[in-house]
Amino acid sequence: MSPPGPESNVQSVPGTERTGPLATESAIDVSGLELVYSDGTAAVQGVDLTVPEGEFFGFLGPNGAGKTTTIKVFATLLSPTSGEVRVNGFDVRSEARKIRESIGYMAQETSIDPELTAEENIRFACEAYGVPRGQRSERVTELLDLVDLADVADKRAEEFSGGMKKRLDAATALVHRPPLVFLDEPTTGLDPKARNRLWDYFRRINDLGTTIFLTTQYLEEADQLCDRLAVILDGRIVAEGSPSDLKREVGGEVLDVELEDGPDAPSRAVTIAREFDAFADASVSETEDGISVTAETVRQHGTDLLVAFRDAGLTVTGFNIRAPTLDDVFLAITGEELDADDTEATR
Amino acid sequence: MSTPGADEGTTASSRRPEGRSGNTFVGDVWVNFKRWNLKAVRNPFVLVVSLVQPIIFLVLFTEVFGNVAGGAVNQGIPGITYETYLVPAIAIQVALAAAITSGVGLVNDIENGMFEKVLVTPMNRTAVFVGKTAAEVFRIAVQIAIIIGLGVVLGAKVVTGAVGVVGIVAVGVLFSLWFVAFSNALAVLTRDQESTIIGANLLQFPLLFLSSAFLPLEALPEWIQAFARVNPVTYGVDAARSLMVDQDVMTVIDVSWFGGTLDGVVPGVAVLVGLDLLLGGVAVSLLSRASSSDVK
Repeated sequence: MSPPGPESNVQSVPGTERTGPLATESAIDVSGLELVYSDGTAAVQGVDLTVPEGEFFGFLGPNGAGKTTTIKVFATLLSPTSGEVRVNGFDVRSEARKIRESIGYMAQETSIDPELTAEENIRFACEAYGVPRGQRSERVTELLDLVDLADVADKRAEEFSGGMKKRLDAATALVHRPPLVFLDEPTTGLDPKARNRLWDYFRRINDLGTTIFLTTQYLEEADQLCDRLAVILDGRIVAEGSPSDLKREVGGEVLDVELEDGPDAPSRAVTIAREFDAFADASVSETEDGISVTAETVRQHGTDLLVAFRDAGLTVTGFNIRAPTLDDVFLAITGEELDADDTEATR
Repeated sequence: MSTPGADEGTTASSRRPEGRSGNTFVGDVWVNFKRWNLKAVRNPFVLVVSLVQPIIFLVLFTEVFGNVAGGAVNQGIPGITYETYLVPAIAIQVALAAAITSGVGLVNDIENGMFEKVLVTPMNRTAVFVGKTAAEVFRIAVQIAIIIGLGVVLGAKVVTGAVGVVGIVAVGVLFSLWFVAFSNALAVLTRDQESTIIGANLLQFPLLFLSSAFLPLEALPEWIQAFARVNPVTYGVDAARSLMVDQDVMTVIDVSWFGGTLDGVVPGVAVLVGLDLLLGGVAVSLLSRASSSDVK
């Protein structure tokens, strides 16, 4: 199978026109969301969030940060312990059914009926979401094309690869052309090729006006897809903004230094860099084979640091100055959590 | 089911996606009924296995024990062959064996994510389970009909004719519901396919043998009689057997409200309906708790 041309089926793909009195409202509006499981685990501890319509929004965080719990509250699978949550303008507690009618949800675990064919899976979803009888066949064909499963439409899903199952799962979440789609770690466990393909579909759906709320633990995914992101850690949002905003918050550029293996070479290098006057405000961390220094001043004073390393008997085997990535953002933020005096990174 | 917001109306709203026409309770039942029937057809193995064991019982028991058991059976119901005596029992066995697979289907749905997927749809949650159960009941009815047909081929006689056949199928279905509920409860509690199958299967043989299924109670030891009196299988088999032979052969409850066959059918059916409601209630509350998750 070859990747789909960018223009294939675009006109007929699930999308929405948002007209009418509520057109300017947010797709998701959350204040003070808290969720405590019955065993006492506080999975979400005070989340405030607004996602405007049409946005590709990313929820970035490590395992156990509270991403899935939050998305399940939005999808009406969990009831919030406290806080106000409105999805598509509806209250999660009193208008759950209206939310279910107006969202698509793709769970973290692939959710399809393996005994049914691809076509039957999509058809079941059409019926479950009340797609009018006369439109079902057309919708099934359209979605099979969108996710490139038309040629295996009559094969049972249990025969599919992981990537094909995910694509089928994604298709079933779109049958009713929801204006808002939740994707919970949609590419976890997929190979890079399958991941890129899914990204393509998500971009296409978003281009047609669908709001997308995606959770991910892949920084690259958030960087590639999202207009805006929130970083969640231990049930709290610790940073929010566009990928470039967040990178800017890291402050300056990143100097990566590779060191020759030696007894605690990286930790000695970290000590030297921290004592370096020009990098008083820098964020310094150990990497796999050396250290990385993030500061406004790495271009002016980087060479001085390398000289200092040589004087201390450390052998530099390589160095590189680059713009920060979301990995640096994440490191800066999580670093701040662990090390309270490193205040520079997250304001 | 009492999940927040599950049953509120579907009034028009400006946020309703354009691709929807809405859900109705009956429509939701039908959608799920279709999916589970499709899955059953896709899995002929399950259909066959839940028929094979009862068929083996029917053939072996009549051939091996027919002569010996015929005597014991005739003391209670004169002129009856063992084939005729056994068919209602095997009908109940089919209901029991098929009901076990209901919980297995639920575990599979939980494991492959379909359970949660269905919860996110606007379908009425009660309708979802009604549809699934309806598909299972439909399958059980067909299987019981097959067993009766096979029994007739082997020489059994349904004295009440076609009406009796429908009646026996109906008794079998009523009997199956409490075990369907039981296996679903097991499924929700264990969330494990093997435990559900083993748990339900372990009960199958004691329930069958410690009842009036294969021999009249008088021919059995005291302690078995004592157990049989509280065993749902006895009530199901006696009601079905009364229809089979057109006499009141209910061994446990003695009534004479109707003066005939119905005296054997009605008390058994009443007990089964009570049991269905009781275990159905337990299963529904467990399912409803599983659907609305583990949150404070």
